[in-house]
Amino acid sequence: MTSNAQVGSVSEARGPAPVSVLVVEDDATIRRAVQLALERYGYRVDVAADGLDGLEAFRAGAYDLLILDVMLPALDGIGLCTRIREESSVPVLMMSARGDALDVVAGLEAGADDYVVKPVDTAVMVARIRALLRRATFSPDAEEAALRRTGPAGRGGRTAGRAAPDHVLTFGDLTVDTRGMEVRRAGETVALTPTELRLLLEFAAAPGTVLDRRRLLREVWDYGWEGDTRVVDLCVLRLRKKIGGGRIETVRGFGYKLVRG
Amino acid sequence: MDLLNPRALRWKIAALAAAACCAVAAVVGFLVHDATRERGLRVGTERATTRLTAAEREFERTGEAPADIDVRSRAELPAPLARDLPPRPAGGPGGTAYATWYDVDPPNWYWMWGAAVVGGDRYLVVREDMSAEVRSLQLLDRSIVKSVLAALLVVVPLAALATEPINRRLRHGARTARRIADGDLDARIGSAGRARDEITEMASAVDHMATALQNKLDNERRFTADVAHELRTPLMGLVTAAGLLPEDDEAAGLVRDRLRALNALVEDLLEISRLDAGAERARLDPVPLGELVADVVRRTDTDTRVTVEPGDADEVRTVHGASAGARGAGAVGSAGLVETDPRRVERIVVNLVANAHRHGAGPVEVTVAGTRIAVRDHGPGFPPELLADGPRRFRTGASERGRGHGLGLTVAQGQAGVLGARLTFANAPGGGALATLDLAPPPP
Repeated sequence: MTSNAQVGSVSEARGPAPVSVLVVEDDATIRRAVQLALERYGYRVDVAADGLDGLEAFRAGAYDLLILDVMLPALDGIGLCTRIREESSVPVLMMSARGDALDVVAGLEAGADDYVVKPVDTAVMVARIRALLRRATFSPDAEEAALRRTGPAGRGGRTAGRAAPDHVLTFGDLTVDTRGMEVRRAGETVALTPTELRLLLEFAAAPGTVLDRRRLLREVWDYGWEGDTRVVDLCVLRLRKKIGGGRIETVRGFGYKLVRG
Repeated sequence: MDLLNPRALRWKIAALAAAACCAVAAVVGFLVHDATRERGLRVGTERATTRLTAAEREFERTGEAPADIDVRSRAELPAPLARDLPPRPAGGPGGTAYATWYDVDPPNWYWMWGAAVVGGDRYLVVREDMSAEVRSLQLLDRSIVKSVLAALLVVVPLAALATEPINRRLRHGARTARRIADGDLDARIGSAGRARDEITEMASAVDHMATALQNKLDNERRFTADVAHELRTPLMGLVTAAGLLPEDDEAAGLVRDRLRALNALVEDLLEISRLDAGAERARLDPVPLGELVADVVRRTDTDTRVTVEPGDADEVRTVHGASAGARGAGAVGSAGLVETDPRRVERIVVNLVANAHRHGAGPVEVTVAGTRIAVRDHGPGFPPELLADGPRRFRTGASERGRGHGLGLTVAQGQAGVLGARLTFANAPGGGALATLDLAPPPP
């Protein structure tokens, strides 16, 4: 079980370093075709054929984004995603061929940020990848965003200490530093994935206001009407687990709101 | 539930109890009334006879009747007495003949007449007032009626209450069955440790049915999901690989075009099989319908005009926080928001518009008014079979093959069903096909 990471060529090396993507997919044709297609868009693509290889490859290299198939030999995509989430908040895009509720929900519960159903057009997949990467480097502060854009997916909280009161928001025992991108709960740093952080910032910008799922899907995930609001529900669920269950309230039939104070 | 429904089991059983109560009271009352009346008559007769005997004895001794006894001739006797008495004493002075007659003329004329022959044309006549007996009989009747009413006052509510446990179990069963029908296949009635009776038997039969249904549905869903996986995996490879072919190559263009068609066919088939398996559930969100439809139509990249009309005043209802099921779909909010599943509305509208362009003729017009979306073209209109039977799989309007596979309208119809909406097909008065999707159809 060696990591058979076939390092793709960098065809578009304009930036300081190309975005590196790990694709874990058992079907050889899809694996190779996705690799070729993404490389055309300028990504550096490594591939792995099963879950355990994928985990090894993930640990061996620093990736900006993972694309995981759900049905994989050895360790399935859900299990792989769970294991990855234990040690990293790198953006994860799931690829499901079944597309039924159980697959999708399990993937999102395991911590995936988004999902696509096969067969997916390369253009669509690239749009999803871009949306995910935008989130990973998101900051309301444009300068800092530009600074951080080059780095790998941030864990959102490396520039703590620069916090000034006007961009540190407090909700009960929760503090959100919108400049330092750091979230603390009762003094302890909370590790959020970029999607979760982006979602929390969306709530923090309008505390006490009900945000409907469609709006969140548009603002955070860059989806139009075709988006599946389950990704919002499940991300809110994960966010609640990390920042405290009562912090985000469900308003039935409408959406969610952040509880003030 | 419906306390006032006169056909509710509760009131039926209460009425049955009341009827049984009344029947028993009527029989018992009649027997008691009859026996008491008989006794009253016997007492009256005895009293009259005793007085007659005493008077007779005194008459024999003194030749005079006591003051309270009339001595009358036969002609003066009331007719019934005269009829019953023999004209002459049968056995000389010792043997006497008696007759009694109960003279009734309600409401207050109750007399017991007695007469005896005392020789010649002389009759001793007594009259006993029976009104006391009659009054007590009336009192008895009244008290029987009163006690029946009192008993009914107790029995009817008790009977109604006694049906409550049965009612509760039946309601629970009905609720559970409805939940199963609404898609909660794990719902079971259960027996809750009750002894076997008809209701637990029915409950276990329904539970059994639900289990069988669930297994069947689960199998179908698994099959659909497996088929989807098996079909989509090679398609994914094909689609991605075809995307790598050169853009300006004609042959590559042909491959990509047919691949798109194949892809659409597979997705439609999978969607129909999911719809058939009943695996689909609407996910409702408040959506600005006009905006949604305009957006969706724009992305179809076809020459289609969209008109959004403000809804009629009576159509604008502020129904918020609708139920999670499809039942609550399609309520119009104050801001033109419609509680619906936008992805399914998108599927339906895209299919209708594509169908209008493929089988009809331009201009294709889409109109949104309230909760209604109408798609109209100016072609030959829907074929009569479609108007009569609705859309059928692989049955296209055009007789030539290869122009669409006829699944689009089937999918649209199925998705409308999931939304709790109604999709109707008609031909517009000025010619052309008119498909109308009503997200909040009036209940049938």
